Amino acid sequence: MLSESNIDPKIIEEILKFSKNVIDAPKLVSAPDEINLEVTPHEVVQEIDKTRLLHYKPLIETKYQTPLLISYALINRYHILDIHPQKSWVKNLLEQGFDIYMLDWGTPTSMDKYLDFDDYVNGYLDNSVEYIKNQTSVEKISLQGYCTGATIATAYAALHPENVKNYIATAPVIDGWKDTTVISNLAKHMDADKMVDIIGNMPPEFMYYCFSVLKPFEQGIEKYIKFFKNIDDKKYVDNFLRVEKWLGDTPPIPGELFKQWIKDIYQKNLLIQNQMYVGDELVNLKNIDMPVFTQVAVGDHLVSPECSMPLHYGVGSEDKILKIYPTGHVGMIASSLSQKKVLPEMGKWLAERS
Amino acid sequence: MDNRTTYFDLNLSNRVTSKSSEILNTSTVKTADYYKHLSLFWTDIIHLMSSKPQALTSIGPMRAFAANSKKISTELIEINEKLFEFNQYMTDYYKQLADTWGIAQKKVNLKVPEIPQDVEQIESVKRIWIDIFDNDFTELFDSEKFGNNYGNLVSKELELTKHWNNIINVILQSVNLPSKEEIDEVYKEIHTLKKRVSKVELELKKEKRKNAK
Repeated sequence: MLSESNIDPKIIEEILKFSKNVIDAPKLVSAPDEINLEVTPHEVVQEIDKTRLLHYKPLIETKYQTPLLISYALINRYHILDIHPQKSWVKNLLEQGFDIYMLDWGTPTSMDKYLDFDDYVNGYLDNSVEYIKNQTSVEKISLQGYCTGATIATAYAALHPENVKNYIATAPVIDGWKDTTVISNLAKHMDADKMVDIIGNMPPEFMYYCFSVLKPFEQGIEKYIKFFKNIDDKKYVDNFLRVEKWLGDTPPIPGELFKQWIKDIYQKNLLIQNQMYVGDELVNLKNIDMPVFTQVAVGDHLVSPECSMPLHYGVGSEDKILKIYPTGHVGMIASSLSQKKVLPEMGKWLAERS
Repeated sequence: MDNRTTYFDLNLSNRVTSKSSEILNTSTVKTADYYKHLSLFWTDIIHLMSSKPQALTSIGPMRAFAANSKKISTELIEINEKLFEFNQYMTDYYKQLADTWGIAQKKVNLKVPEIPQDVEQIESVKRIWIDIFDNDFTELFDSEKFGNNYGNLVSKELELTKHWNNIINVILQSVNLPSKEEIDEVYKEIHTLKKRVSKVELELKKEKRKNAK
């Protein structure tokens, strides 16, 4: 039996400190709702349905003529690319002298359940590209896609190569059969037809479930213990709350789009086999003949590198590069590594071609 | 007359006995099926028996109310059946989680035989616990058996939702509001129209730009 004297007094001290931190937390920290996630100044230049095209204000004189349009993922919101001044993807690119646009897909409602890949690729994305071309008087733009946004951007680059000067695919979802993540296992066993038929849009609750099965103990317990332990560390807490707020804001995915994504990418794996249709058009990756820069993360537990890398080998481009980074899915776009390594490398590649 | 009565009684009794034995024989199939049949039989019979007096005594909407009650009871019976299947997958789901938890805990116990005595030890035990649990649960979530059961569980949950939707549709229509299917038709129509308009607009813009050049 453990006698009282055997207990390390430091343990009691730690427990008391932790309890004090929990009690003090509301006094020291803002509520997630009070945090504004929009960091870098921008204006909304075009709105179609629920989508918005954002144009970021230059922070230095724009050095390169070709603007860059970012096609963000369908999961969560675009804010992660501009989550914190010191970790902002957008701000870093602006500081390198690029002209940056971002497509915000908005929050679909029940009314949008019939929106499909065709609407996203040949509708919203094409409209944005046309707008930018028109405003900047260029023939072609540079395009970047992140995660599922890269699946859409890949289809766009294959169907409209005449509009894309350079293509950057960051953790793209391409080869569903090679994806080794828990998400792909759930997607492969899902009856997407039934879900869309009965519920309409893919509900955010399903996405939250998917998040909950990703390292459930590290992400569900340890992360919050660390948060309360570091409650005095302003920088840590600010960053933590921003990412948490971003994680908690998952819009639904339009039913038809979700259905096609699950079936064509994860279940039938049509995109990498050049058998996927968007509207009436066949998506052939060999049509992607512009310079392509593919970025993957070794520790990505949402889109495994095996799922992304086939893009590099599947495109028709001769000028292409594949970069593998020692980080995770979010780490690749919003971390000190992304600021020090991922973005400078991408910026250098893009500058040479812009 | 007596003979006829006896014959009728015997015949009925034989039919009842044969029906009962049939039911007993099929009882191995599914108890749920039997109760479903029983409920549907009585719901239908009562509905048919009462329809004429109802038509006579009720006026307009009250008749519809009786018909709706039948639709709702049918949905409730179906829900009951689906609940049974849903519970089976749900039980499997929790069993998989509980089994994985048990195995992971055993692994932790083997790695940490002693009760931690100081802060450093507590930290390292916590690390071991999290690593083992995360690995074992990720392995479970990645497995075919989990994926299959989860897929079936979600599928049954959706079927339950569909029955609930059907009930709501009956209620909506009883108060002259459009059903989910009718609203969906409108959404689909709007979507098709929007798509056509935006394609025409885009083509026009491209044409204008070409002409300007």
